[in-house]
Amino acid sequence: MRMFLVALAATAMAIGGLATHADPETDRIAFQKYYTTKFPSVPRDDFQNGIYSIDKVSREEWMEIEEFPPYELAIDAGRDQFETPFANGKSYSDCFENDGAVRGQYPYWDAERKEVITLELAINECREANGEKPLKYQKGKIAELSAYMSFMSRGQKVNVVIPTDDPDALAAYARGKEFYYRKRGQLNFACIDCHGSGSGNRVRSEMLSPAYGHPTGWPVYRSKWGAIGTIHRRFGGCNRQVRAASFKPQGREYRELEFFLTYMSNGLEFNGPSARR
Amino acid sequence: MLKKLISLPIAAAFLVSCASVSSNDDFNAAWEAADAKRKEAAAVGYEWRDTKKFLKKAKAEHEAGNTEAAMKLVAKAHEEAEDGIAQHAREAELWASRVLK
Repeated sequence: MRMFLVALAATAMAIGGLATHADPETDRIAFQKYYTTKFPSVPRDDFQNGIYSIDKVSREEWMEIEEFPPYELAIDAGRDQFETPFANGKSYSDCFENDGAVRGQYPYWDAERKEVITLELAINECREANGEKPLKYQKGKIAELSAYMSFMSRGQKVNVVIPTDDPDALAAYARGKEFYYRKRGQLNFACIDCHGSGSGNRVRSEMLSPAYGHPTGWPVYRSKWGAIGTIHRRFGGCNRQVRAASFKPQGREYRELEFFLTYMSNGLEFNGPSARR
Repeated sequence: MLKKLISLPIAAAFLVSCASVSSNDDFNAAWEAADAKRKEAAAVGYEWRDTKKFLKKAKAEHEAGNTEAAMKLVAKAHEEAEDGIAQHAREAELWASRVLK
C-alpha cells in the first residue's frame, strides 16, 4: 500500500512538473484558447486591439480618437530621427533593413549572446555601434523611433520563435512565463490575476484588458501619460500599481517577460503604435 | 552644597547625552538591519514599492529629532522586506497553479 501511495505521489508530482514546464507551443495554444473561450464573440484577430476588443463603449471612443491619432507626431519625429545620419555618416537604415519595417523580427532569442533582443535594445545598440549615446528606454526619442518603425511594420505577423533545442532559450522563456504568473508586491497580484481571470472585470471605471494581444500595439500613446511610451514603461507601471518595486527597463526580467508575452500572441498582427487611455 | 548643585546639571547633561548616543546607535542599527533585509528582498526580485521610501523618510525623521516616528518607519520597512521575501518563497510553489491550461 505504501509503495502504491509513493508511486501515486511520484506520478502526481511528475504530472505537476510537466504542467509547469509544458513546452511553449502547448502553453501558447492553451493561453489563446482561454481568451477565445472567455470572449467567444470577439473575432480572434481583434484581440490585437487590446481592451477595445472587449469593451464596446471604449471602442467607440477609441475609433473616434483614431481619426486624428495622438501618436502621429511621434511617428513623424521618429521618421526624422531614422532618416537623420549619425555623426559618422551612417544611419539607422544601416542597422535596420527595409526602412525600419522590422517590428515582426522582435523580440528574438540571440543564441550567441544567450539573451533576448528587443527592438528598443537593438535601437540603442545601433546607436552605440555608430558612436552615439544610448537613449533612455521608457519614453521620448526611443519611443518615437519605435513608433515610426512599428508604423512601417504594421500588418507583420507576431511570430516569436522559441528554439526548443536550446536549453538557454527555453530557460529564458520559462523565466518570462514564471514572472507573468508570480504574485508580487504589497497587493499580492500576478499579471495573470488582472489580465487572465480578471479580464473583462472593472477596476473603478476601467475595464481590465485580456493578455492575448497585449504586446502588438506598442509603443502606445497613453492619455494618462500624455505621451508615447514603451512596453517596458508599462511593465514598470503595472509592477508599481501592485506596490512592487519595478525592474530596470530593458533589463533581463522585462526582456524575458516580453519574450514570453509576445510569443503568447503569435499569429496576431503588429499594429503599433496605438492609443490607449 | 554648591558642589552638588553644580554637579547635578552636569550629570543630567551627561545622561541625556548618553541616551542620545544610545538612541542614535539603536536607530542606526535598526536602519541598517532593515536596509539589509530590503536588499535581500531585492536580490530575489521581491522588493516592494515603498520600502526604500520608508527608509529614506525614516532618516529624515531621525535627523529632525522625531525618533519615535523614525523607528516606526524603520520597523515598517523591515516588515515589508520580510513579507516580500516570504512572498517570494511562497510563490515558488504557487505560481504554477495559475498557468492557463
